[in-house]
Amino acid sequence: MEQYAGNFLARSVYFGGGTPSLMSVNQVEGLLCWIKKMFTVQSDPEISFEVNPGTVDYGYLADLRRAGINRISLGAQSFRDEELKVLGRHHTSAEAMSVLDSARKAGFDNISLDLIYGIPGQSLDDWHQTLDRAIKMKPEHMSLYCLSLEEGTPLMEGINSGESPLPDPDISADQYETAENKLGQNGYCQYEISNWARKGRECRHNKVYWRHEPYLGVGMGACSYINNVRRTNVSDIFQYMAACRGPFGAAVKEEEIIEGEVKKAEAVILSLRLNEGVCFEDVYNPAGAGACQHYGQVFNELTGYGLLESDGSLIRLTRKGRLLSNEVFWRLLPD
Amino acid sequence: MDQKLIRNFCIIAHIDHGKSTLADRLIELTGAQRRNKNIDLVMDSMDLERERGITIKAKAVRLNYAVPSGEVFRLNLIDTPGHVDFSYEVSRTLVACEGAVLVIDATQGIQAQTLANIYIAMEHDLEIIPVVNKIDLPGSEPERVLEEIETVLGYKEEEVLFISAKTGEGVEQLLKTIVKKVPPPSGDPELPLRALIFDSHYDDYRGVIAYLRVVDGALNSGQKVQLMGQGTHMEVLDLGYFAPEPRTEEQLRAGEVGYIATGLKSVAECRVGDTVTLTKGGAREPLIGYDLPKPMVFAGIYPAQADEYSDLREAIEKLNLNDASLVFEPESSPILGQGFRCGFLGLLHLDIVVERLEREFSLSLVVTVPGVRFLATKTSGEVITVTSPADYPDPGEIQKVEEPWVKISIITPSNFIGALMEVVQEYEGVYKHTEYMGQFKAIDEAGQRVRLEYEMPLRSMLTSFYDYLKSRSRGYASLDHEFLGYREAKLVKLDVLVNELKVDAFSRIVPPHKAYEVGKAMVAKLKEVIPRQMFKIPVQAAVGGRIVAREDISARRKDVLSKCYGGDITRKRKLLEKQKEGKKKMRMIGRVEVPKEAFLEVMKLN
Repeated sequence: MEQYAGNFLARSVYFGGGTPSLMSVNQVEGLLCWIKKMFTVQSDPEISFEVNPGTVDYGYLADLRRAGINRISLGAQSFRDEELKVLGRHHTSAEAMSVLDSARKAGFDNISLDLIYGIPGQSLDDWHQTLDRAIKMKPEHMSLYCLSLEEGTPLMEGINSGESPLPDPDISADQYETAENKLGQNGYCQYEISNWARKGRECRHNKVYWRHEPYLGVGMGACSYINNVRRTNVSDIFQYMAACRGPFGAAVKEEEIIEGEVKKAEAVILSLRLNEGVCFEDVYNPAGAGACQHYGQVFNELTGYGLLESDGSLIRLTRKGRLLSNEVFWRLLPD
Repeated sequence: MDQKLIRNFCIIAHIDHGKSTLADRLIELTGAQRRNKNIDLVMDSMDLERERGITIKAKAVRLNYAVPSGEVFRLNLIDTPGHVDFSYEVSRTLVACEGAVLVIDATQGIQAQTLANIYIAMEHDLEIIPVVNKIDLPGSEPERVLEEIETVLGYKEEEVLFISAKTGEGVEQLLKTIVKKVPPPSGDPELPLRALIFDSHYDDYRGVIAYLRVVDGALNSGQKVQLMGQGTHMEVLDLGYFAPEPRTEEQLRAGEVGYIATGLKSVAECRVGDTVTLTKGGAREPLIGYDLPKPMVFAGIYPAQADEYSDLREAIEKLNLNDASLVFEPESSPILGQGFRCGFLGLLHLDIVVERLEREFSLSLVVTVPGVRFLATKTSGEVITVTSPADYPDPGEIQKVEEPWVKISIITPSNFIGALMEVVQEYEGVYKHTEYMGQFKAIDEAGQRVRLEYEMPLRSMLTSFYDYLKSRSRGYASLDHEFLGYREAKLVKLDVLVNELKVDAFSRIVPPHKAYEVGKAMVAKLKEVIPRQMFKIPVQAAVGGRIVAREDISARRKDVLSKCYGGDITRKRKLLEKQKEGKKKMRMIGRVEVPKEAFLEVMKLN
């Protein structure tokens, strides 16, 4: 770990994936202290902390704020209790609202809400309701995710057994477009396929991923991308703890060198997720003329389908293209 | 050997009525082979035959049978294909015999195809020994089956044997009856050589092996011989018989059955039904009119992967060395790429060819909807044959169209008559005749068995007809057909358009009153199997310029991975790579991506 110290400027810190609120504030403080000791940290860094409703109270949040956390990401998911039940969440919408209130009172001025659409049985009207309630809470940032159904989950079993209806992809598309309209009208600016923010409140941390910039992940299952190598840690806690006692890198389960065509493709795909789009000159160097030509053809085709638009120097997804972005992205992969 | 001690016979039986088991038992009882530990059925040599329970290629086995008086008889058992697709081969096999053992399943009774084969045997004056098999089974009804045999075939009770090939019960008696009743061969050993080819196959090392029955004269190893029908000249490289493994001999004499190795490169040069005679001092007249079996059913065969075309060509050519009745010519389709239009003796033959190509040559194939050969007279007076719907002339160009008709015979318990008549009429059958087979009341209450005779277009038979027949009779009905000739037809070509583009592979020839129904079913199926794409796709069925059915596949609106953060990137990229791989396997109709499975689904649709 020490080898990274000093070489990199840490611009943001993100506590998330899993349930960081299981840590005591003392532990959080200790970690922040360690980070500041090990890395050069930019002044006024973004330090986010994921919180699930029903697991924290005002006192905890106030202590977090004092410890230096300045952004809260709240996994509200829905403001309709029946949907929360379908999702297998243990909190209520009232609890989600109260956590948000508490966070405000604790002094957080940068709060993000996660919401889910495409839930079995969730109508367009239901989604309107959740969005309206969310907007009323005035969070600075919102992430909207389409429910992804995975085999083996209780939800999928419910669908397979006919207990829950299979979500209609057309309704999900309507829900997405509804959100685009509604959030736009209420002062939220979309900056990524699934992310909206008030001006200047985009998540700095997440933009690192989409800009293909380096990041260091610490913990079980965490992922790092440094010097063109992507490493993923083991996900088992005992394995991880054992590895921590071993040499550096012992916790790495998978390692992939990202280079050449794959690197180019990843960079373009990730940048295209951002509304700002991708700049031709940024992606291609003169040596990549072949790939450039290939991309040129693909870009033309996709523009023809109405999935991409360009103002000459920047290329970005259209409204339709965001919903069909996989159609854009797979075409950009090398053969 | 003394000609008087030779008996040449075959077994006529419906699929699964126990022919192979009986053959095994005969071989075992005569000591040609000890009873095998496993239930190896000796005469079915191809895996495929075993699996389908049918016999594709006839073989002959020589059995020595000693009667109590001490005389040793030589029995030549010639196996026959049981399916109507191979009726030409059956007829030639029967000509090589003097007798036939007619095997009827005691649990099922006479089946339509068996009846057809019995009539051929009677036509050739064969001595028929009726045998009721499987009398050991609990569901057997020997009395009812006996009554059918009496009524339909006119045999008396004392002429019928009751056996179980499985347990061996009655098989010894059958051997005695064969010796007693089947006449010895009547040919003249002093006349110039005449031998009938009743089967052949291609061997990689010795060329074509022809199975033959020597009728007159004698055939010696090393002799120069010729085929009287085809004019092929060849040398007898080797000759012998099967017992059941091959045994080389110096000579085959009048009345004997065996094989010759010819060195010929393809069975097409040495066809079943031809007469072998000596090149020098040969006979003047062939034994029987020699014919080429005509393909009746046509379908396109394409490789699933376009780059496998040359493999497919090689495989078909190789298969053709062994199966002269398979005809093929190159064909190309804008969607399926390069392939072959092939002609088959029937649907079973088609199935066998496709399965062999896939199994023996590891190919993955797309097979188009089977059809018949139409004769179209154009307004110009020109007559063309059409075996592919793509070649069907425009309505304005057609003066008249003719299509092949068949006579079908259905044997069914009487309770299903009403249901079956409905089915047949729906498939354009024209009623001809009803015949009751015996008065005996069946145990299962399904009623007395009846034979129904209809005439119908062969085209109708190639659809789901047989499946319906079976399901509407709870599996009881059996079907046989025989070619009648060409009759004028009122037909239209139904085209399918995907995104305004006509897809030849989906075109079908149908009667006008069915166009709407078939068209509707096809577009509905296509809507189900073509995945939604980035744009709306109209799917239409049309006759001439008139749209008879339409479905729209609405545009897909959403295909997005909504979460993509640091830890997701590799996994999401792999998902996209998989999506890209999937797209490569798609076939394109214009800019519409269609999975291969979708083609198969629509082709299968009846």
